[in-house]
Amino acid sequence: MSNTTLNETERTDEPQTPRTTTVGESEETIRPSWRQYDFEGDPKISVSGLNVHYGDDHALKDIGMEIPEESVTALIGPSGCGKSTFLRCLNRMNDRIRAAEIDGNVSYDGENIYRDGVNLVELRKRVGMVFQAPNPFPKSIRENVSYGPRKHGDIRTGFFDRLTGRDDRQQRDRIVEESLRKAALWDEVKDRLDENALSLSGGQQQRLCIARCLAVDPDVILMDEPASALDPIATAKIEDLIEQLAEEYTVVVVTHNMQQAARISDQTAVFLTGGELVEYGDTDRIFENPNSDRVEDYITGKFG
Amino acid sequence: MPRTDYQRQLRTLRADVVEMGEVVLGRYDGALTALETKDEELARGVIEGDDEINETYLDLESDCIGLFALQQPVASDLRFVAASFKILTDLERIADLASNLAGYALDAERQRYPEVDIRHIGERARAMVADAIDAYDRGDAGIAREVALRDDDIDHLCETASGTVVEDLLRTNYGDESAAILEDTSRLLLTIRDLERVADHAVNVCARIVYMVEHDDELIY
Repeated sequence: MSNTTLNETERTDEPQTPRTTTVGESEETIRPSWRQYDFEGDPKISVSGLNVHYGDDHALKDIGMEIPEESVTALIGPSGCGKSTFLRCLNRMNDRIRAAEIDGNVSYDGENIYRDGVNLVELRKRVGMVFQAPNPFPKSIRENVSYGPRKHGDIRTGFFDRLTGRDDRQQRDRIVEESLRKAALWDEVKDRLDENALSLSGGQQQRLCIARCLAVDPDVILMDEPASALDPIATAKIEDLIEQLAEEYTVVVVTHNMQQAARISDQTAVFLTGGELVEYGDTDRIFENPNSDRVEDYITGKFG
Repeated sequence: MPRTDYQRQLRTLRADVVEMGEVVLGRYDGALTALETKDEELARGVIEGDDEINETYLDLESDCIGLFALQQPVASDLRFVAASFKILTDLERIADLASNLAGYALDAERQRYPEVDIRHIGERARAMVADAIDAYDRGDAGIAREVALRDDDIDHLCETASGTVVEDLLRTNYGDESAAILEDTSRLLLTIRDLERVADHAVNVCARIVYMVEHDDELIY
């Protein structure tokens, strides 16, 4: 992923106005039980005491959250609530923002990714990311998907590899096909793998970016508004894909579209202005009977 | 507040359901009076008015579907629209029962069992419906729970009344009058049953109100 995209996301998502603890007309004390989500099995991701400051701005306040594996977790909330900041903490993407100060603990399978000596390349291989605007490389479809595995040294198809007889072309083609199939794009592009990825439609480009992310064999896929730039049909395809991916991967999605969160996620976390996680639980319950009045007001559109 | 048109639609739905409830109560009152006074014109008015209630019912049902489809209500709004959708059906059924009762008023010629107080049972059931509509309007689960509890009294009154009629029928030899007696008593038993069902519909309304307000389905069965 390019720095340009990251910086763009950063500009649109960071709070522009001073933080306030009041939302709409109501003020309330957040109860810890609202954020307590009980599920079976060990969490894939465990977050505790996570605080993020951008200078004087306390962008995330003491976030604690456990994310179950092989499921879809939606993060919702108004602009500036910190949900994208939170998402980017999950693969240390905020490390790239000099002003961001991050404290706390984020663990994958029990291993803290903020401890010293963590291999960030390895981390981001395990925890892939898909952004709001499709951002394929201006290369062929095949090269887009094989770029990651080549970069990570999983396959060798370069000039010297050919000279030394270590060319992994068949393996590359297998990874490309498998990744494109998992991203539900194979049937649409199998006959034009050498065409420029930018010739694809927006929805296809986004699925290509998902295929590119899958090619390095991650455990977790983070998605920041993955369908917000797409038309309803392309959106529906991405939504179907997200549900399929959750059979094998742990998917965490930031979305502004509450109906989308309701449709695709197993559990929903609601962040509200002030960088607080207010409520987290089964998506059914959050959308039928939230505990917090502020969450109720937010999801019913009584403030915006 | 954003989504002002949506908020207005929700308020309108509430007012419309309450208004339909009041019209239904008016028809039911007419039926009760007709049973007592044998006022044929009043009874016919209730029966003929049922079409109008059915139309209102279909209109409001369609409003609910429109809200689901176009506004995708969630949380308390979702429970409100879903509850209203179900409550409409109960109100429409109460109107059907009022129409039945008005029909019995047209047929009935003799009041053979003065000890069976149809007016009293009818008023008790009416109060349950009226209080349920009020609880819906206020969004008050407490009133709804209290109204639902009163159903046992009505059931008891209806059981006693039916028992009186059946016992008399079994005990007395009416000779040549048997056929007419049988017709009258069947009609009276149907009247009692319909009043009891009016109260049952009031309980259904209350069950949906408790769900609407507290997301509690304890009364829904």
